[in-house]
Amino acid sequence: MVRDITLGQFFPGNSILHRMDPRMKIILMLTLIIFIFITFNFFALGLVVATVVVIVGCSGVPVKLFLKSLKAVIFILLFTSVLNLFYGSGTALWHWGFLSITLAGIYFAIFISIRIIELIFISSSLTFTTQPTDLTDAIERLLKPLNHLHISVHEIAMMMTIALRFIPTLLEETDKIMSAQKARGADMESGNIVQRIKAMIPVLVPLFVSAFRRAYELAMAMECRCYRGGEGRTRMKQLHYSKVDFYCLGAVLIIVSGVILCNIFLPAVMR
Amino acid sequence: MEAFIKAEHVSFHYENEDEHQVVQKNVLEDLSLTINKGEFVAILGHNGSGKSTLAKHFNAMFLPSDGKVFVDGIDTSDEEKKYDIRTRVGLVLQNPDNQIVASIVEEDVAFGPENLGVPAEEIRKRVDSALKAVEMYEYRMHAPYKLSGGQKQRVAIAGVIAMEPSCIVLDEPTAMLDPRGRNEVLTTIEKLNREKGITIILITHYMDEAVKADRVVVMDEGKILLDGAPREVFSHVEILKKHRLDVPQATELMHRLKSHGVNINEMPLTASECIKQLEAILK
Ligand SMILES: Nc1ncnc2c1ncn2[C@@H]1O[C@H](COP(=O)(O)OP(=O)(O)OP(=O)(O)O)[C@@H](O)[C@H]1O
Ligand SMILES: [Mg+2]
Repeated sequence: MVRDITLGQFFPGNSILHRMDPRMKIILMLTLIIFIFITFNFFALGLVVATVVVIVGCSGVPVKLFLKSLKAVIFILLFTSVLNLFYGSGTALWHWGFLSITLAGIYFAIFISIRIIELIFISSSLTFTTQPTDLTDAIERLLKPLNHLHISVHEIAMMMTIALRFIPTLLEETDKIMSAQKARGADMESGNIVQRIKAMIPVLVPLFVSAFRRAYELAMAMECRCYRGGEGRTRMKQLHYSKVDFYCLGAVLIIVSGVILCNIFLPAVMR
Repeated sequence: MEAFIKAEHVSFHYENEDEHQVVQKNVLEDLSLTINKGEFVAILGHNGSGKSTLAKHFNAMFLPSDGKVFVDGIDTSDEEKKYDIRTRVGLVLQNPDNQIVASIVEEDVAFGPENLGVPAEEIRKRVDSALKAVEMYEYRMHAPYKLSGGQKQRVAIAGVIAMEPSCIVLDEPTAMLDPRGRNEVLTTIEKLNREKGITIILITHYMDEAVKADRVVVMDEGKILLDGAPREVFSHVEILKKHRLDVPQATELMHRLKSHGVNINEMPLTASECIKQLEAILK
């Protein structure tokens, strides 16, 4: 069962989003996420919502998967929007004891919940359409300027690469150790939380020991293959911006200016 | 024949952090060995005889405490030539899981040439030809953890081939594999030796693998006990037994028959040779 895990949530396909350069994708997604949070009226919000609908539609990923990714945050979503419902100031439309709902409160609740949903949809569309390794690659290249601040971007990227590579291996190993301990009579499924955490110790100790041994061997193997840090290292895979990237860049720029114009010329309903 | 690796009077002991241990036991003891270009050499020896330690001397991972090792004429203690040596001699370790760095097969194979600063198009060519050489080209976009043990080990070998070494040292590459995986790896190794002329040093515990080599070196307690063609080395059944080493089963069977008075002139190495001889005897 563990063998089948897929890291990240990549959904294979050949949509515009799949074909975009991962660097451009990250930049544009971040831009959109920032602009979700600076929408102050329904026109601006509507524009961003429309954009997200188009992105989800273009991604070639079933909408069901997007809705699934909402599941994790459904509680936070309800909690914050209900809380915000009672938070607004102004004339009360309805009140019960010290709780009162105002028009501002309703606006708040709507904005907050839509913003969270969009945030999830946009970040999911990035992870659904990009391989984890491509993400790591893109992050390494995007952060390259940080080298001037003496931050070793290559090392961070190498750590992410190795983590991605070893998560399935270590999960498989955890599975094996758990079976081995169960075969020796360990009970991991019953008892309260404290008992269950205690039952995990005989799993974690061998897991750590083996992880350190693996790390030692991997370091040795990397040295055998002439690894000596990022300096003088080339890459087989080159990233290239293509036409699709520039079309998307243009589209996002138009949307962003639309949002800014809406914010300036139309009355704000949010702070 | 041209010498490729030359170990001259090599002694080695591990630097122990444990200060109470006064006696520094030498893991390698005044060992001299020459490996020729294009040879397929198998190294045998029981656990702890120093095989892995010797292997790491061949690519400058370890430096001798005493004596010298030369690779293609370069002294391994020359710090500046360290990476030169490692591109000439590739090392494949026992556990394939712990040598694969990237989560996509072709990216892992590219890791070595990338470290050497080879230009992108050249890396692409090398990766493709390395993957074809180990017959893993169709799997180039796969995730390594989904491959079988034999396939993983072949990816590890491809990773070394992509650096275009003249020699590959394999430290028990088949120890963690099932018979099918062992067969895949061994066939690959033989092919590399025969078709590409790559010098192969294979450390193994399996006698049927050692038999395939041109030359067998038997180690014991950091020294070389026997060195010669497989037929010659395995004819010393008594010496090998005394040092807790196996001989191929075919050889063992004929040796026992011989000691019971059956007339046998030449010791067989493989099952088919053994069958032929038995047929001749039983006629
Ligand atoms: N890192 C180390 N520190 C100290 N001693 C070590 C270290 N590695 C190995 N040794 C010791 O060196 C000796 C030779 O070890 P080596 O691993 O070379 O043997 P080997 O022939 O490869 O054995 P095996 O067949 O088990 O792989 C052993 O006695 C071992 O205990
Ligand atoms: Mg060993």
